[in-house]
Amino acid sequence: MSENILEMKNITKSFFGVNVLKDTRLTVKKGEVHILLGENGAGKSTLIKILSGAYAREEGTIIFDGEELSPMSPGDVIKKGISVIYQEFNLVPEMSIYENIFLGKEYSNGIRVDHKREIKESREYMEKIGLNVSPKTLISRLSVAKKQLVEIAKAISNDVKLLVLDEPTAAITDKETEMLFEIIRELKSQGIGIIYISHRMSELFEIGDVCTVMRDGEYVGTVNIKDTTEDELTEMMVGRKVSFDKIENENVDWEDVVLSVKNLGYKDLVKNVSFDLHKGEILGFAGLVGAGRTETAKTIIGDYKKDSGTVFYKGKEIGTDLSKNIKNGIVYLSEDRKDEGLILMHSVAENIALPNLDKLCRPFLNRRMERKTAREYVDSLKIKTFSELTEAKNLSGGNQQKVVIAKWLYSDADIYIFDEPTRGIDVGARDEIYNIMYELIKKKASIIMISSDLVEVLKMSDRVAVMGDGELRAVLDNDGELTQQDILKIELAEEVNNEK
Amino acid sequence: MKNKHNINLSDWIIYIGMIGIFFVFTIICSAMGKNFLNINNVMNIVNQASINAILAIGASIVILTGGIDLSVGSVVGFVGIFLAMNIKSGMPIPVAIILCLICGAVIGLFNGILISYGKVPAFITTLGSMQAVRGLAQIINGGQAVSGFPLEIGALMKTKFFGVVPIGVLYVVVFYTVMILILSYTKFGRGIYALGGNSHAARLSGIKVKKLEVIVYILCGMFAAFAGVMLLARLLYADPSAGSSYEMNAIAAAVIGGISMSGGKGKLANTVVGAIILATLTNGLQIMNVATYYQTVITGLVVIVAVFADKRKERKAE
Ligand SMILES: Nc1ncnc2c1ncn2[C@@H]1O[C@H](COP(=O)(O)OP(=O)(O)OP(=O)(O)O)[C@@H](O)[C@H]1O
Ligand SMILES: [Mg+2]
Repeated sequence: MSENILEMKNITKSFFGVNVLKDTRLTVKKGEVHILLGENGAGKSTLIKILSGAYAREEGTIIFDGEELSPMSPGDVIKKGISVIYQEFNLVPEMSIYENIFLGKEYSNGIRVDHKREIKESREYMEKIGLNVSPKTLISRLSVAKKQLVEIAKAISNDVKLLVLDEPTAAITDKETEMLFEIIRELKSQGIGIIYISHRMSELFEIGDVCTVMRDGEYVGTVNIKDTTEDELTEMMVGRKVSFDKIENENVDWEDVVLSVKNLGYKDLVKNVSFDLHKGEILGFAGLVGAGRTETAKTIIGDYKKDSGTVFYKGKEIGTDLSKNIKNGIVYLSEDRKDEGLILMHSVAENIALPNLDKLCRPFLNRRMERKTAREYVDSLKIKTFSELTEAKNLSGGNQQKVVIAKWLYSDADIYIFDEPTRGIDVGARDEIYNIMYELIKKKASIIMISSDLVEVLKMSDRVAVMGDGELRAVLDNDGELTQQDILKIELAEEVNNEK
Repeated sequence: MKNKHNINLSDWIIYIGMIGIFFVFTIICSAMGKNFLNINNVMNIVNQASINAILAIGASIVILTGGIDLSVGSVVGFVGIFLAMNIKSGMPIPVAIILCLICGAVIGLFNGILISYGKVPAFITTLGSMQAVRGLAQIINGGQAVSGFPLEIGALMKTKFFGVVPIGVLYVVVFYTVMILILSYTKFGRGIYALGGNSHAARLSGIKVKKLEVIVYILCGMFAAFAGVMLLARLLYADPSAGSSYEMNAIAAAVIGGISMSGGKGKLANTVVGAIILATLTNGLQIMNVATYYQTVITGLVVIVAVFADKRKERKAE
């Protein structure tokens, strides 16, 4: 049928003898937003990589735009009109934004690259998605969220018939998500097919038309979004119901300030930030992209050297020696697992051990203990991996994230700064991670949770700090009456200030 | 529950390669009526491999961190002259040797600080110090070779155990054992791998990456200095141009042994096999009377084949 832009049938794929896709199928119509849903490690990304030519399929057929696609290279697939935004970034860090956008399809005037034209067109794409920086900025200078926006700009700059987005909103906030949805709707009205992968359920209902659910590499079913509910989808996906209520935290000791940040400043990214964190508290950090939340966290632990201000930890002033601060019990879980969180080429066990080597070396590394501990975390966090000796790069995105969490849980710190802890984690596992956070505060640890997911912020936080433009705008009590609107209002109010 | 790690052919490929090369030479040489596989020649090979093997320890740890050290060949040359001059002037041999090791450490410190704190790329830094140290080797004795010093230093290389096992083997065994244990059973060793695997992640995991990087270059310089002492003890003659292109042999041994040039991956134990493979090639081809130029060509090709075979696993996964 010509209505279908894509039909994938009987797709099978295994890695090192383990079947990760078993006879899976996916059919996408023109002008439809097709949600692909499944737990971490269900095989969504693998299916997409087979479509894009990044992996070779073992069996199965792909019919695209009425024509059967033989296995071909990723470059040829793009030329056919399939654009993929992968879960992990594929940008060249040492190149500028516009060079990345036009990588592999450079305009030339005669022999030279036509930089002017590339810059001009890049700016148009970037404006469309609300990325307001110079196209000449180097990728390495951008935050994760902005990198994500560049990926989107790059994808829409191709002549697409089918656009695939693998967790595009995991790192961006509601406002950018709204802009992205605008673009998706526009592309959709042009008859372009969209495959959309996300673990944020609310989004699916906002943007999706049809949803295909996968479990353990198998096709479970396809439903119309209009005719289904969140509960039904969750059940199809995990096989059980998941709750979403705020749990009351009775562990906070409001008398005991464990971390006190006073007038912290770093370049123009962190401006005069002051706040207190109490024992047993979860302090949520909300804010738009570029609000300075990550930068604040990194300045506190000493990864960035502060320009001004002081940080008191348990009453004592602390310096900017990162490894000393970690040893003292302040740890930071990075939002960027690929570049800062994991050593992808090393095993799960080695990654979990890395911040905890002092514990494991007495004086020589106890490898049995290392593996045993890793195995315990693999079991308790339900990390889907062949074994604890598997290289981290072979895990699915969400499972990699769980490894990052495991390595910091093992560190037994007093203050955990979680930066987007549930980025790319499925609904079922999300709850497990929330439970783990509660376990931590029960043990009288304190948590700073930076999150772009307001549902999560409201569910978890005792108080919510709202940042904007490097400043701490407000610290709100999450007394049960706080709403997403309240937080958004503060985030946006400051936008208005900027425009003046 | 799966506890067993899959035994993988590619983990063994280097040993298979080494045995294969021995096998081929044995057959060809005996067909030519020459004697390749006998205890004396095998010991000879190991002895020839020993200096490169020591240098290759330094090369391996530096490459594991994602760096490179091109200056080690020059350090070998410099140390030879420096040591020869010192013992000629009556300095006790042990003191002279310790001075050499300190020189190696200082050169390593210089490299390491420029690379880690100064952020100068390792290739550039050590290319520069390679030239500079070679220049120093020429300067300290006006470009002249040194001879006529007490020959007791020769005992450091020429002693044999049980009449067959050369002492060079002992150095190799001791240093490799210690370094292998350090790499796999200490925080420092894990730090080296982590730094090469992803320096950002290592830093944010509390590893003191800068300090660690400096120490690695210091160690590399010290191994180079020790190799310089070994070379002098073997040749009993110090030439300011001694050791040139040794850095390449050391890097080749590491690479044949499967140390990834981009850092973070590889086993030091295999580096020694890489050094033995290289020495076997040289030795075998010499016995076969193959001209030196062809030897170089063949050695070069072996390096490429070894890396190609090593990457097989990665290619297959895709
Ligand atoms: N290159 C690889 N080598 C070995 N195993 C792999 C590789 N890529 C993926 N896998 C395995 O295949 C399974 C499916 O992975 P995939 O990345 O497709 O999951 P996913 O559905 O995208 O999950 P997530 O929501 O966490 O991103 C996982 O169990 C993973 O460990
Ligand atoms: Mg995925």
